[in-house]
Amino acid sequence: MTGASCTVAVDAMGGDRAPGEIVAGALEAATTLDVEVLLHGRIEELRPLLPDPVPARLTLVDTRDVIAMDDEPLAAVRKQKDSSIVRCARAVRDGAADAMVSAGNTGAVTAAAVLRMKRFRGVPSPAIAVPIPVPGHHPQVLVDAGAVVDASPERLLLYARMGGAYACARYGLDAPTIGLLSNGEEPGKGDTLRRQAHELLRSVPGFVGNVEGSDFMHPGRADVIVTDGFTGNVALKSMEGALRSLATVVFGVLDATPETRDAATVITPRLLDAAQAYDPDLTGGAVLLGVDGVCVISHGNSSARAIVSAVQLAADCVQAGAVRRMQEAVARAG
Amino acid sequence: MPAETHVEQTPLGPDEVYGLVRDRLAAILEIDEARITLDARFVEDLDADSLALIELVEELEEELGERTVGFHVDDEDLADLHTVREAVDYVVARLGGGAAS
Repeated sequence: MTGASCTVAVDAMGGDRAPGEIVAGALEAATTLDVEVLLHGRIEELRPLLPDPVPARLTLVDTRDVIAMDDEPLAAVRKQKDSSIVRCARAVRDGAADAMVSAGNTGAVTAAAVLRMKRFRGVPSPAIAVPIPVPGHHPQVLVDAGAVVDASPERLLLYARMGGAYACARYGLDAPTIGLLSNGEEPGKGDTLRRQAHELLRSVPGFVGNVEGSDFMHPGRADVIVTDGFTGNVALKSMEGALRSLATVVFGVLDATPETRDAATVITPRLLDAAQAYDPDLTGGAVLLGVDGVCVISHGNSSARAIVSAVQLAADCVQAGAVRRMQEAVARAG
Repeated sequence: MPAETHVEQTPLGPDEVYGLVRDRLAAILEIDEARITLDARFVEDLDADSLALIELVEELEEELGERTVGFHVDDEDLADLHTVREAVDYVVARLGGGAAS
């Protein structure tokens, strides 16, 4: 017994920078956080990346299969049962771990979580909750960021209930505000899905009505923004693209003339400081809502720092009883 | 250490397989078993997505694998199974029995 407050299964083989960055992150998490890490992957690839002996709070779990980032998710999970992704999900199901973290194939992680941990009652399919940075404020929660491209009004209602419960657990909110992403604030705005969902969401505590794309990254309008997986993913990628473009413009201006380069020596450290709010490596990653266990999906290009954040997020979700709170929110709604 | 033994049981017939499919599918989709008729189409009538069908397959493999060694559903075959009847007939054939009535 190591006395850690929770155990997190980490997929060492998933992600563009695996296993190097993942192992480095898992090692740092096991030595700096109050967690025990079960690091899953091909042991002969992992061992050379670790000190000898490994820290007491890190255990290697040998898995032979590797699911690639571009593998077809369902087929991969079915055929590669000894993959690090499937074994991490199984560890949570069997009680060997309290949570799992993977930067691997998102579809495969979702499928493995559903097939091994199981969905909880009342949830036909899971949703992905992504933190949207809001400077000087807790992040907003976007649900669904791409788990299921098509959604019915009833599913958007579920996303609202689970997203609200998740925001309470994750950010300590008592009464989170919940908005429905649409193309205008008025209730009649949007396509058929949005208009029907708006009627259903009126029953959800904290529902503030429709919100627009311009309400992302601003405090005050909604703590949780609900939409279908297709629109959610497009919105997320649009924000990422806009921020990248903005950064290019700003740093281009700072490098334009000798005078601006002089100014940059003063401004750049402040800008980089402020930009931390948008650093995806520090948000902890996305959380799969609707499965009977904590499953954190870190972004595909995760660095060691991102893995540490993801393990911390997983541990926080376990400590806050996030899954139980979501189950209760769904059950209360009948 | 004694060798692992496995006692082959009588293969399930079409009615029993149908009952098993209904039971498991109703639990996965959280719908009334009465909706799961032999002619019901998985996607159009039962709103079952591909993940739900894989859940069904894995549960059938687990249940039936205990009765028939190595019972397995090929993923390539799944695309051809559109209705409950087709799934029942497929499973029965794999188990070595007759077709659903």
